[in-house]
Formats: sequence, structure tokens, C-alpha cells
Amino acid sequence: MTLDIGVTMKRPRLGFFKYSCCMGCSYFFAYVHKHVHEVLASFDFVFIKLLSRKGTPEGPFDIALVEGTITEAWQVDELKMIREQSKKLFAIGSCAVIGGIPAIKATAPELEVEKKVYKNLSPIHSIKPHAVDAYVKVDGYIRGCPPAERDLYEALTSVLTGREPDFPQHSVCIECKLKGNICILIADNMPCMGPVTNAGCGALCPSMNRACYSCFGPMKQANAPALAKKFKAMGISRDDIIRKFTEFGADTIEFRKAVETVYED
Amino acid sequence: MNQLKPLIARIEDVKIEAEGVKTYTLSTGFPFLAEPGQFNMIGYPGVGEAPISLSAIMQDGSFKHTIKSVGRVTDFLKDFKKGDELFFRGPYGRGWPVKKAEKKDILMIAGGVGLAPLRPVIQIILDRGELFGDVSLICGARNEKNMLFMDEFKEWSAKISVYLAVDEAVRPEKWQHHIGLVTDLLDRVRIKPERTIAFICGPEIMMRFICRGLMMHGMSQSSLYVSLERRMKCGIAQCGHCQHSGLFVCKDGPVFSYKEVRGLPDGVL
Amino acid sequence: MTGERTFQKFKRLIPKKAFLLWLDSLKKDYKLIGPVKTGNHAVFKEVDSSEELFMEYGTTMLSPGKLFLYKPNEELFRFTFNEKNPSPIPLPQGEGARGRVTEIFSSEKISVDEIHSMPEKQVIVGVHPCDMNAILYLDRTFLGAVKDPHYEARRKNTVIISLNCAYVSENCFCSSVGTGPFLHAASGYDMLLTAFENEYLVEIKSRRVEELFGLRGRGAGNAELRLKAEKEKSIKWKFKKTVDISGLDNIFAENTGHPVWQRTAEEKCLSCGNCVMVCPTCFCYDIRDEMSMDLKTVTRYRCFDACQDIRFAEVHGGNFRQRRAARLRQFVTHKLDQTNQYGVSGTVGCGRCITWCPTGIDLMEITEEIQRYEPA
Repeated sequence: MTLDIGVTMKRPRLGFFKYSCCMGCSYFFAYVHKHVHEVLASFDFVFIKLLSRKGTPEGPFDIALVEGTITEAWQVDELKMIREQSKKLFAIGSCAVIGGIPAIKATAPELEVEKKVYKNLSPIHSIKPHAVDAYVKVDGYIRGCPPAERDLYEALTSVLTGREPDFPQHSVCIECKLKGNICILIADNMPCMGPVTNAGCGALCPSMNRACYSCFGPMKQANAPALAKKFKAMGISRDDIIRKFTEFGADTIEFRKAVETVYED
Repeated sequence: MNQLKPLIARIEDVKIEAEGVKTYTLSTGFPFLAEPGQFNMIGYPGVGEAPISLSAIMQDGSFKHTIKSVGRVTDFLKDFKKGDELFFRGPYGRGWPVKKAEKKDILMIAGGVGLAPLRPVIQIILDRGELFGDVSLICGARNEKNMLFMDEFKEWSAKISVYLAVDEAVRPEKWQHHIGLVTDLLDRVRIKPERTIAFICGPEIMMRFICRGLMMHGMSQSSLYVSLERRMKCGIAQCGHCQHSGLFVCKDGPVFSYKEVRGLPDGVL
Repeated sequence: MTGERTFQKFKRLIPKKAFLLWLDSLKKDYKLIGPVKTGNHAVFKEVDSSEELFMEYGTTMLSPGKLFLYKPNEELFRFTFNEKNPSPIPLPQGEGARGRVTEIFSSEKISVDEIHSMPEKQVIVGVHPCDMNAILYLDRTFLGAVKDPHYEARRKNTVIISLNCAYVSENCFCSSVGTGPFLHAASGYDMLLTAFENEYLVEIKSRRVEELFGLRGRGAGNAELRLKAEKEKSIKWKFKKTVDISGLDNIFAENTGHPVWQRTAEEKCLSCGNCVMVCPTCFCYDIRDEMSMDLKTVTRYRCFDACQDIRFAEVHGGNFRQRRAARLRQFVTHKLDQTNQYGVSGTVGCGRCITWCPTGIDLMEITEEIQRYEPA
């Protein structure tokens, strides 16, 4: 892929790395969001698997974006190498930020999961799923599935202008109320994960009359056990509550606490 | 006009004060007037704003800010050079009660960058020392590399008894002052409680121990003044971030008498 | 609103239908805003015709003051970075050049545009006494020593028609804090309605609405005013939630270590900020910058902020309210105990924070627990 936009300014070198995930973040990054053109023009795309069939990534990078859960040992090695070669490293998408969908397997012992899926275990070398920050220092989180546009631009413009990025740390409820939505948790008794979920999506699902399922993951210091108890009082079954908290956040301490609360009762 | 609208200030000079601390001399094209202890909201588009105390208010209408790069805004400013522009609005807040200190002994106690908001007071004392009684300054820092205005102490000593302390010295053989806490130095100053007013600025936990210490020396709560640091977005008593049980630190402070803020919920004073 | 030449504070009885038609007649100059029924709830929004209005509503989730006067999002400034790097402005030379009164600096590199709000004229009808008192509370923040131009412009362009309550919702406690169910504020609004059988008792509270209001109806006499007083008296019995606000001053500040905070924070509070967002008197805001992807413009806007946000009181090297319990206490204290701020209680008794709390935290229960704990 060639980028001939005629920008003579030295553009920051960007690498986009993919581990265990659906590659949706790459796709979103390269094709879908509002300012694809500006992003393409602003950065020197050194490596992005979706667009380049080139083999190994060659650093150094001014900015590395990492999507996907870390589920195999080689990924850990490569991730550490990328960290060393990158000035800034951002986790992008639920998988890289909190473990995401692949982390569902964290709810059972690794070997059990492997046996469930594969007949022959000899070529399988998977490890317990973890978010990117379990292995390397991360400079910021672009949360969500698909990732939040605003947060993506914040990360990219922060690198371009040399400032620290600023991401929201409050709950989805605040964005939901700013939009003027009637609370579906209270009014319609829907098990909405908004109160414990980090903002950034603009309360997308609740605005469409759907309960938040926490693809952005727990906000800092989230009191997930209290929400789990509320769900229980609303008459949601134990299994459904557990599914709520393990769909994306099975690898997060906050949501694991909620699961444990439900088991305890 | 919207009071939140920032104005442009030009950096006339940048001086490195200590590790990660720089003093920026700013001019605006109009004479900037402020009281010692007041603050400006300093910022840059895209980065936001942060409240920073004035470290000097100059006769010629320019002013100085001594900034330690610790947060988003201050970190961004650390690479700014002479001739660059930044944005500011202010001055805001209630400063040190210098008028009330006239004819009295002044005891200033500073910790780390807490010395910066006291510098305009020191300037007044240097210019019009005859207005005040005995003036002492106790100044603490983590080590000598973190001590602000080291090159100015000599000039200050003409009118002010300066006492220095570092938690630990990087080069102990060269450090001729106290090694230990600032509170240790309280005993070295002869305090006449009834005619002394104390201006204190530093980490809140330090101010707590200083205030308690000075009260043990017989000073009353209402003659101790502290400058508080809080998160602020507006500086004009609207955004609510700096609220503490009814007080807006931006409007009612940042300088308070210890009597007003002792035992403030969520603080440690 | 106030300080104008005196006007005729007449009281008239107007048939409800005629009144609604009068509202429709205002539509040529004003946006008409009022309570509308959507599903099981009422919301304040702009209507095309008075037929859409649901004047018998109990309560709404969001208050009209924080929807149409103090906006959830407000663009304040736009910074534009100019394409070419200009030659730096020459620094003034010599001592004489400094300190002179010259023009305020402008930058060739960045221009700042202030966004002025040009609010349309609007009528908000059906504002309950709690919400009216909340608007008067917001006035203290935004029309105080420093005036907010956006709020001020909207306030000036808004005719507020308040409506005395005929129903008590589950969590209302305005009767305990003196902000309802009937409005007794002397000024700051334009008209007060009390619903009778088929008529509204209309009380004129401003000159501009006196000029706007052309309906004659029939003059209200002592009998009608007695009926109004009776209505107020009878509704006061219907409140399920009450609180004794006498002696609340400082009770929270003095009980920062009370176990109720830690227990509620552990068992119930989610730090989600719903209480703050639905509160009609919560005025806190955040100012945020958003940079365009081409790096050419920065939009500085403000939006509601919540003291429940973990970063709300964070400074470098510390957070004054790191603990959830501290943030919960900050909210409750500001509502019930910070009368030293504006001389009035921060709550208007609308009960929204109780209704819309996902885990049902009840300020009244917390208060009672602390009051009980106080040695007599």
C-alpha cells in the first residue's frame, strides 16, 4: 500500500498490531471512522497488518496501537519488543484494553477450554488471556468495541501535538443523562451495565433503548458487586448476571468481584 | 465578554529554577495588576487550563509564573521558549493579607514549589521593608535540587532571616543548612505570638504540622494563613471542582486563615 | 425580570382551554416548551401545539432549568491555528515599550473566537415549584458576582410559567424544605398557575407577561384565594417523605466518619453520577478541549460534571476525594448542609436523586441515620 499524499513534513511513524481478536479495530481504523483521510495523511503507516502483507514490523515507532487479547506466549515476546521500540503505546479496543470477548475463556481452567475446542492439543500453545497492560506499560486506552472515535482522535492528536492524552473516566450514565435519555435501568427494569462502565461511547446502546453490555469495561473503582446485587433484586438469573459481567470483562478485577458476589449469595 | 475567555500572553523569558521547575516571565500588552497570592488560569488550546499562582507581579506590568511540570497542562508548557505564546486569564482569588501584616512580624513557611506563591510577598518586603517588623522565611524542599530561587536567597537575606531545610541532601558535604523537616526549624525562629502573622504554603500535610506547631508556639488560628491547592476549571466560583463545604477555594481562597479551613472535610488540615 | 416599573399583579381565573389557546398564540414569537408524556414518563420538550402538553404530570427525570437554561453541553470558544507559521511578533524593545497601555495581544498563530449564544425566545410552561426554586438557585451561581453570558442570555429570553403541584410523587419532599408544593418565591419568574376544576388561577408575576397576557377571564376574589390555600393545605398531607432540616447545618461536616458513608459506599453507591445529573441544582461543570483531527481547530466546551467522577477533586499527587464514600458524602452534604454557600439549602426536595439512583440510595434515610446518631 502506498501513501502518496505529498506531505513533506516528517510524519510520525505508526504501527498497528493485532493479537487475538476479530481485527475489527484495524478495519475501523483504516476504513470506517470519520477522519480516515486526515489520519492517513498525518501518519507514516509503517506497519498495519490489514493493509500490508509485509512480514515483521520494523521499529522504531512514534506511536503503536495494539488491538487484541494476549493469548499466546509469542505475542508476549513481540508485544514487549514493540513496547521497547515505541515512544507511545495505546491499547485499542475492548480486547486489548480489558481482555474483551477472548477473555471469556478466563472463566474456566485453560486446559478445560482447550479440550472443549480442540481434539488434538499438541499444536495448541495458548495461555491465560490477558489485556495488553498485563505485560507492558500502556500510555492510554482507546476503549470500546468498536473503539470510541473521540478517544482515538484524542490519542492520535496527542501524539501529533506532543501533549498528554485525556480520556474520560466517569460512567456511561453521565453521557446518557447529557443526552437526555430516560434511564432504562430504572424506568424499564433493563439490566443496564452503564453505572459501572467507563464512558466514551456517548451512551450508544441506551440511546437505542438497549441495555449497556459494558464493552468499554469497568470504570476505575467501579462498584460492580453492588450492581450485581441490584440485578439479582431485579429478578435476573444468576447465570445471566454472570454472563453480563464476563462478556467483556472476565479478565478485570472489578467484574470478577461481581461474579464472586453472585456465587456467594 | 465571557469571563472564561483566555487572553494571550507572550513569554519574555524562561528561567530554570529547579528540577522540572521553570519561571516564565509573561507580558500581555497591558499592565497586569494582581495581589500577592492570587492565581491565573494558564493554558493552551487542546490541552486545557490549570490554576497557577503568580510568583511575581512586576512594576512594568508583566508577571511571572513558576511552574513545575507535573500534570497535563504544566507538562505541555515545559518546552515553551522565549517568544512563544500561551493563554491565561485572571487574576483570581483572595491573596495573602499583606495589609493586615503591616507593623507585624511575618513568618513565611514554604515547602517545595509552595515558595512560588510567597515570592510576591517577599518582593513587597524587599521593596518596602519598613512597613513590617521582623521577617523570617523557612523554606523546605526534598533536596537542594528541588529548592526554588536559590540564587535569590542572598538578596533576600538583607531583609529577611532565611532558614533552609532539605529532607535529604544530594551533596551533604556542600549543604550548610538543616537536613530534616521544615517543622524542625520552627524552634530556631523567635516567634512573638501576639505580633506575628504566618503565611504558609506547601503540601497540605506539611501545612497541617506547621499550623499545629505554630499553635504550640502560642499563635492563634486566625493569624495563620495557608494557601490551598485544588482542582479548578473556571476560577470564578462556578465549576464547583474546588468546593469544600460551602467554600469555593477559587473565590474565597486560595489563601485562607487556618481558622476557616481547619478540619475541612476531605482535606488534612 | 425584576427592578422594572411596577406592573399589575392581577389574579384571574381562566378556563383551561382558553389558557392553552393563549399559549398557542405565543408560538409566533416564542418556542413553547412544556411537559409531554412519553411512555410512562413526562419530559420537558418543545411542542408544536399546546395539545401535546401533559399538565397533570408528576415529575420529570431532567429538570427544565438544566435542559433549557443551563445546557448540558455548551460550546464556549473556538481556537483556530493558522496555516502558515507567521513570523514571530517582534518583542517590544527597551523599557519604554513595556508597561505602556497598548492593545491586548493578539496572535497571528492562533485566533480565538468566542461563541455567543443567540437564544430564541422561549416559554417554559408547567414548571413545578421545586424546579422553579432550582432555577433561582442556578441564578446564584451563574448570575452572581461573575455572570455567565450564555445563561444570562437564555434567562432573559425565557418566560417561565410555574405550576403549583396537584400531585405528590413517591420521593417528593419539597414540603420539608420549604420549596413546595406551592410556590412562594416573590420574583424571578413570570406567571404562576394553580389548577382548579376547569380553570387555572393565573397570577401575574412580571411586567412582560402582563403585557403578553390578554385574557380577561374573571377576577379571582377572596373565595378563590381561600380555595387555593385549602388546596395547598390538603396536598401537604400527602407527602410520604419528610426530613427535619432544623439543625442539619454542619451535621454532615461533623460526621464525616459516620459509618453510614462507608456502608452505603460499599453496599450501594456505584459512583455513576446519576444523582448529580438529574439534580436540578447541581451546577458543576467541566471544561474540555477537543482538537480536530486535522489539528486546525480546537473547540472548548463545557458540560455538566459530577462530583462522583473519580477525577473531580484530583490534583497532582493526590485526590481529595479518592474514596467513593467521600464522593457520596460530598453530594449529600452539598444538597443538605452547605447553606453557608448561598444562604439556602442546596436541595429543592424534588426527590430525583432518590428516584433515579440505580441502587435506591435515599438521602432521607442517610440523614435520619445521622440525626439519630447525634447525641440529643
